[in-house]
Amino acid sequence: MSDAQAHDPSIEEFDTAPGDEHLDGSGVAQGVIGYLVGLVLAALLTVVSFLLPAANLVWPPSIPVALIVLAIAQMGVHLVFFIHITTGPDNTNNVMALAFGVLIVFLVIGGSLWIMSNMNHNMAPMSGTMQMGP
Amino acid sequence: MLGKLSWQAIPFDQPIPLFAALIVIATVIAVLVVVLVKGWLPYLWREWITSVDHKRIGVMYTLLAMVMLLRGAIDAVMMRSQQTFAFRAPGYLPPEHYDQVFSAHGAIMIFFVGMPFVIGLANFVVPLQLGVRDVAFPTLNSVGFWLTATGALLVNLSLIVGEFARTGWLPFPPLSETTYSPGVGVDYYLWSLEISGVGTLVAGINLVTTILKVRAPGMTYMRMPMFCWTVLASNLLIIAAFPILTATLAMLLLDRYLGFHFFTNEAGGNMMMFMNLIWAWGHPEVYILVLPAFGIFSEVVSTFSGKPLFGYRSMVMATMAICLISFMVWLHHFFTMGAGGDVNAIFGIMSSVIAVPTGVKIYSWLFTMYGGRIRYATPMIWSVAFMITFAIGGLTGVLLAVPPADFVLHNSLFLVAHFHNVIIAAVIFGAFAGYTYWFPKAFGFRLHEGWGRLAAIFWVAGFYVTFVPLYIVGLEGMTRRLQHYDVAAWRPWILIAAAGGVLTAIGIGLQIVQLAVSIRRRDELRDETGDPWDGRSLEWATPSPPPAFNFAVLPNVSGEEPYWGVKQRARDRLKLSEEPEYEAVEMPRNSPTGFVCAFFATLMGFSLIWHIWWLVIAGAVGAYATFVAFAWRDRDEYVIPAETVARIDRANRQAREAALARLRRDQ
Amino acid sequence: MTETVALAHNDPYALGHGHGLAVGHGGGGPASKRIIVGYGFWIFLLSDIVMFSALFATYAVLVERTAGGPSGRELFDLRGAAAETAFLLLSSFACGLASIAAAARSARWYYIAMAATCVLGLGFLALEISEFARFVSDGDGPTRSAFLSAFFTLVGCHGLHVSAGILWLLTMVAQVFAKGFRADIMRRLLCFALFWHALDIIWVGLFTVVYLMGVYV
Repeated sequence: MSDAQAHDPSIEEFDTAPGDEHLDGSGVAQGVIGYLVGLVLAALLTVVSFLLPAANLVWPPSIPVALIVLAIAQMGVHLVFFIHITTGPDNTNNVMALAFGVLIVFLVIGGSLWIMSNMNHNMAPMSGTMQMGP
Repeated sequence: MLGKLSWQAIPFDQPIPLFAALIVIATVIAVLVVVLVKGWLPYLWREWITSVDHKRIGVMYTLLAMVMLLRGAIDAVMMRSQQTFAFRAPGYLPPEHYDQVFSAHGAIMIFFVGMPFVIGLANFVVPLQLGVRDVAFPTLNSVGFWLTATGALLVNLSLIVGEFARTGWLPFPPLSETTYSPGVGVDYYLWSLEISGVGTLVAGINLVTTILKVRAPGMTYMRMPMFCWTVLASNLLIIAAFPILTATLAMLLLDRYLGFHFFTNEAGGNMMMFMNLIWAWGHPEVYILVLPAFGIFSEVVSTFSGKPLFGYRSMVMATMAICLISFMVWLHHFFTMGAGGDVNAIFGIMSSVIAVPTGVKIYSWLFTMYGGRIRYATPMIWSVAFMITFAIGGLTGVLLAVPPADFVLHNSLFLVAHFHNVIIAAVIFGAFAGYTYWFPKAFGFRLHEGWGRLAAIFWVAGFYVTFVPLYIVGLEGMTRRLQHYDVAAWRPWILIAAAGGVLTAIGIGLQIVQLAVSIRRRDELRDETGDPWDGRSLEWATPSPPPAFNFAVLPNVSGEEPYWGVKQRARDRLKLSEEPEYEAVEMPRNSPTGFVCAFFATLMGFSLIWHIWWLVIAGAVGAYATFVAFAWRDRDEYVIPAETVARIDRANRQAREAALARLRRDQ
Repeated sequence: MTETVALAHNDPYALGHGHGLAVGHGGGGPASKRIIVGYGFWIFLLSDIVMFSALFATYAVLVERTAGGPSGRELFDLRGAAAETAFLLLSSFACGLASIAAAARSARWYYIAMAATCVLGLGFLALEISEFARFVSDGDGPTRSAFLSAFFTLVGCHGLHVSAGILWLLTMVAQVFAKGFRADIMRRLLCFALFWHALDIIWVGLFTVVYLMGVYV
């Protein structure tokens, strides 16, 4: 650690900052290869996302599911290869925080869509009949 | 040049706001004059305004909360008195003013009393309890505080320049859209909350990082005091919920400023989405406020019962369960607004489920008291009052969680009584318990016990006399926010509620007396040992007030209730532990970043409200420049030499030694 | 640093070590500053993503409320979105190279990689601004319908983040130029890299939900 804080290095391994580069001089090539793999995978998934619905290859109603699966896969690629999130014990806290965030995102989006579609279904249509002025 | 701002913004024609504004201005000027004449400004600037010490920032948060509590309480008294006079009469507050009063009351009490109070106590206590020297991000902490203060300043500015929102404590569209609220009131509301919301988010990030990453050696998760756990849960909720608030209010701002159509009646806008999102924030917000209060009660009950907290592990589980479930109940705030039976049923069940972990907590506190040697000092009185009152409030909450019952009670005074019942009992009583409990730690002397008990008794009595009648008129059909009414059956209950308001106001008055008396008689109330209540967690291991570095040597934690363990060992052996080897301590340097940043935020907020665009840009550039200047500095820490550390810690050890000597004599 | 990393690589899953001593999330005392700062910023990013989730939810709720105006299918140009995606993905990659260059203390490669990041980011912004300008000049601005309000806000909020990121990027370049790879500046670089990668993750959600699903679903 370049910081003045002294630590027993033998216990440092249980914790790492999210996105930290683990370089030890010789690892530059390895680091670049990691990013390159990520770039290739992400580009591949992106290309599939853009071409799949246009190519008439899959059953049309499955397209939204396919797109969402591809998007989540690509987010995973970014997390692993660009932000270096791993399942190792040094990343426990980072992954827990991420899981909490993802849970909240799903609750907010899923809950909102469910509630709002339910309300739209139950409410009388408002088209044009109720013009209110100040 | 000045946008919408003109002399018409000053309410010359309305005597009540003008009078209030004059009092506020006079007070502010008087305080400034005293500060300048006495030459306190350099001291205040050096030691408080630019301070990045978590204890100082915690104290300032708490002070802000107490000042704003006075403002909110005055609003409450105005509402009660208006309803007292407005039976088949117009009363003394015209509707447009009454609407501002109840909107300001709610917004202030939640955002500028509840939030700064719990964040302030957490800021002060959490690093001490974790056995460390500061929070994770000291300067950011100062930025967070000053942004909160900016929000509070803008809200109060609306009293003098312009008006406040008339849309309730949450500005529901389409009423809050420009079509129906063309004035600056809603803009004051929105910008002050956007700015203070950033401050709250910063505080949340800071406290979560502190608790998860900055703890004394040996302080594992399951050894953390309960207050730290509840602050962790509460701040996780801040991180998850406040961005939703920011986004929702930003969308309303876009509607108002740029003619977007998120929540409007025209062009496909959907105002129900506002209800949905605002409550997706709003329900977790309740637990953001209440969870730290639960933590305070846990500390107080355990200390004053002389026992470890009963069921620590189940308390931790209950806290984290509440943290998660609180994100799955938000629809119960709008059961009546058109969702179907299935949605209502599920959210109703979830709302009832959240009562289970809360019940676990109540039983834990009761069993902590059971068999204990209870001392009824003021913090304990607040705690017992809380347990009884909160149980009632929780039960009426379970009633409201049943959708068919909610269709009868929605937006009635029953609802108003319910949420005051839980928020006052938990957050306000908890804040006062924590204030009394940790005051000696912060200032080195205790608050006066007699005046404190009297204040608590008036507060509790005032609470019941005010809100039990409101439950009753709510069941009789009285809706909230009535500027006047003509139902004779409600009349007696409203008069009783007014009497309750008087009792509560006396309670607040007694607290001011208590503070004044305590300051005058501070020498006889002095806390020499640093451990005035026979405490159990690490904050009591430091002297009162603690030095800037808190702990001369980071404590080595070897079990739950670390300080209790150390103290017992010392008592058993009638000897303190060995004197440690002192080393120099590095502490973060003070920085005016927070204050300067808040200055520019105030400029920006004010000019955005009044559409003074050049000033908006100037403010933004200033804020950015502030951060760059902060980022450019080369030295961000200063060193406290080992001798100073040793001198301060030896004085602390001497005080403890004296306490031990007394113990020896007694044996 | 090197010693620590070597250890971590030798035993990545820490087999045979008790967790009781773990710094930061066990009982080993305060974590190092780099971990504290990185973790704090990580939490900020999660809160930012929650904010985007509110905007995404609003977009999804309002997407069919076109009020007689154009829908996404009529408006969106997928080639533009594809180009924006390419710019941002490459920019994220370049940012990763900048992190490596900074970790290897190579100022020259750091400047080159940051310049590439910046140029690619600006390219993304230029495309987005021209798209917005085209919509507005066709009378399909954000005030046209609830759908367009939600579209401009969701995509525009991401664009604002990218703009802020570019301002931050330039500040970071200036900082390294003036002060070198000091520990505190390395911490800020870590945060900046996290921010930039996170923006690309959000963009993945955006091009999928807004553009692809807008056109094909």
